[in-house]
Amino acid sequence: MLERMKRILCGLFSRGRAAGKPKHHFLAFLLCALILPSVAVVLVAVGGMVSQERAMEAAVRSYVQDLAESMAYHLSSSSQLGALPLLSDMTGYPFFSWGPSIPGWVALISLDGRVIMASPGAMNIAAIWRRDLPIGKATRVEDKQGAQYTLAIYPLTRGDGYVVAAVSWDQLLGGLVRMSRMWPVLIVLVTLGSFWAIRLLWRRLVLPLQSLVAEIDNLRVGKDVPGELGRGAVKEIESVQDALTRFAQAAVERDNLRNRYVQDIVRVQEKERVDMAREIHDGPLQDITALLQQIHMSLDEAEQQDSAPSAQQPLSRIKRAEGLARTVVRELRSLCDELAPPWVDLGLTETLTELAERLSQNYGIQVSVDVEDPPEGSSQRSVRGLDVGPETTLSFLRILQEAVSNAVRHGEATEVRAALSLEEVEGGERLRLDIWDNGRGFDADIDHEALRLQGHRGLANMTERMSLMGGTLTITSEIGKGTHILAALLV
Amino acid sequence: MSIRILLADDHPLTRAGIAEFLRRESSFELVAEAEDGLRAWERIQELKPDVALLDIRMPGMDGVSVAQKVKNEGLPTATVMLTSYDAQQYVMASLRAGAKGFVLKTVSPRELTAAINTVAKGGLYLDPEVASVMGKSDFVPEQLSAREREVLLLAAKGLSSKEVAKRLFISERTVQTHLASIYDKLGSKNKTEALLLALKYGVVTLEEILEDGD
Repeated sequence: MLERMKRILCGLFSRGRAAGKPKHHFLAFLLCALILPSVAVVLVAVGGMVSQERAMEAAVRSYVQDLAESMAYHLSSSSQLGALPLLSDMTGYPFFSWGPSIPGWVALISLDGRVIMASPGAMNIAAIWRRDLPIGKATRVEDKQGAQYTLAIYPLTRGDGYVVAAVSWDQLLGGLVRMSRMWPVLIVLVTLGSFWAIRLLWRRLVLPLQSLVAEIDNLRVGKDVPGELGRGAVKEIESVQDALTRFAQAAVERDNLRNRYVQDIVRVQEKERVDMAREIHDGPLQDITALLQQIHMSLDEAEQQDSAPSAQQPLSRIKRAEGLARTVVRELRSLCDELAPPWVDLGLTETLTELAERLSQNYGIQVSVDVEDPPEGSSQRSVRGLDVGPETTLSFLRILQEAVSNAVRHGEATEVRAALSLEEVEGGERLRLDIWDNGRGFDADIDHEALRLQGHRGLANMTERMSLMGGTLTITSEIGKGTHILAALLV
Repeated sequence: MSIRILLADDHPLTRAGIAEFLRRESSFELVAEAEDGLRAWERIQELKPDVALLDIRMPGMDGVSVAQKVKNEGLPTATVMLTSYDAQQYVMASLRAGAKGFVLKTVSPRELTAAINTVAKGGLYLDPEVASVMGKSDFVPEQLSAREREVLLLAAKGLSSKEVAKRLFISERTVQTHLASIYDKLGSKNKTEALLLALKYGVVTLEEILEDGD
C-alpha cells in the first residue's frame, strides 16, 4: 500500500517540478511524523516499566528476605518462646497483628505447613505454600487466582517452623501492573489511529488536491468548467475548487461573449457588404445601364439621320461616352463581386465554380472545383442541391478566394484544385471543402501569430471564419509539396 | 408579322429604355410590361407572347423561376434573360431552366434585335460578354471528337473528372487531356465557358445537356 501511495505521490508531485524541489517523500515523512513519536513513547514507557519493575522486584526481594530473616532470628532468639505460640495468642507479637509496612504479610508456619501466627491477609498462605519452595531466598509465586507474590522463607533455628514473608504484587503494584498490560493495546490503538489519520488525510486532502491539480492542469481557460470534486474534501479545498469553478465560468462566459461579439461583427460586416453590393447593383449599376441604353439609341438615331461630316464629331463623343459608361458598368460589377458577389444566390456549388473560373482567368492559372458524389449505393446525400444558405456559401467563397490568392502570391502555384463533399460523421453530416495547390508549400511550424502581426491575416482570417461558423480549418503543408486546406462544417 | 414581346424588369429606368427601343422597332410588338416576376408570369399565361425578356432579379419571383414555369407548362413563349448579372453560372442556371437566350442589359440595340430574332426562330442566343471570346463571330471551332463530346456533356452535368473517368472507363488523366483539348478547340478557359461555346457553335445542343442533366 505504501508503494502504491508513493507511486501516486511521485506522479502527483513530479508534475509540479516547476514549483521547486520535488516532494517525493511527502507521505513517508508524514507517516514517520505520525508513527515515530507514538512508537517512541510506547518504547520509552515500556522500558521505564520494565526497569521500574526490576527495581521494585529487587527491593521487594531484599525486603521480604530481610523481613523473614529478622523475624526468624527474632522468634528463634526469643526466650519466651518455648514452643510455638498458639495462633489465637498473638499478644506477645504485636508485629503479626500489624503486618509489614508495605502491602504483604508475614506468617509463622509449622514444618507441616500449618499456620501458627500470621498477620492479616496471610490467610491464603495455604494456597501458595508448597514444600518445594526454596528456603532463604526470595521467590516469585502465583496463587490459583493468578495473584503474584514475592515471598521469602526462613527456618527458625530451633527447626520447628518457618517464617514466611510475602509482598503481594497486586496490592503493591496493582495499578501499574494492570496499566502495563494495557500497553500493547494502547500501542495498537495509537498505530491504528495514525493510519486512520493518514487515510483521512489522504482521502480528504491529498486526493482532492491531486484531482484539483489535474483539473487546473487540463483546464482550457475560456472553454472548460471544472467538474465536481469527489465528496469529503476538506472545506478549504472545496473553497479553492469553488473559486476555480467561478473563475473558469467567468472565463467561459467572457470567451463566449467575445466570440459572439466577433461573430456579430463579422456577420454585420458581411451583411453590410451584401447590402452595399445589392445597393450598387440595384441603384447605380441600373442607372448607368439605363444611361447606356439612351446612349445606344442616340447613337442609332445619329447614325441614321445624319451622315454629314459635320455630325462626325458629336458622334465620336457619343461613342466615347458609351465606352466610358461601359467601363463604369464593369467597375461597378467588379465592385459588387468584391463586396459580395450576387451569384452566391445560385448555391454553393455554382458559386464556387463561378469563383474558380473567375480566379483562373484573373490569375492565369488552373483553378477547378469538383463535386465529389457519394459512392454509389450509399445513402449519403450529395452536395449537389444542398442548401447551406448564403452565410455558409459566402464563407466558403472567401476561403477559396483566400486560398487561391495565397497559393499564387506566396506559393507560386499554377494549379489549384478544390473538391466539395459531404461525409457522414458522428453527430450528422459534414460538409468539407478540400483545396490543394501545387505551390511551394511552407513550413508547417510557421508562426501564425507572428504572421498575423506582420499583417498577413490570410490564414488567421480563414481559421477565424470557420471557427465562428462552428467549423474547423486545417492547413497542412510541406516545403516542396504544396498546401492542403480542409474547411469542414457540420450541416 | 411582328414578334410579340413581353418585358419584365423591376427597375423603371432600364425597363423604360428597353421598352422605348422595342417600340421603335417595327418588327417588334411590345405587348406587355411587368415590374415583378409574378405579374410577368400572369401576363405570359394570358398573352402567350413569342418572346419574354426577363430580368433575373425581380421581386415576387425571379426570372429563372419564370422561365422554369414557362418550360414546365410547355408554353410557346421563348424566354430570354435580360440581366445585369454576368456570371456564367447564371447562364447555366437559365439554360437549365429552359431559357433560350441570355443577354446583358448593356447590350447594343443591334444585338438585342439579333437575340430576339434568333430565339423567336427557335434558336439559342448567348451574349458575347458572358464568355470572353464569344464575341468573335468569325471564330470557327475545330470539330470535337465523339469522346470529347461525351466528356464535355458529362462534365456539363457537373461530374468531377474522377467521376467522368469512372463513367467512361478511362483514366482521370485521359479525362484531363480530353478537357484540355476541348478548351483548346473551342477557345475557352474553363468547363462552363467550353459548354457555353459548344452550345453557341452548335457542337452540342441544349436538349442533350438537359436530358443528361435531369
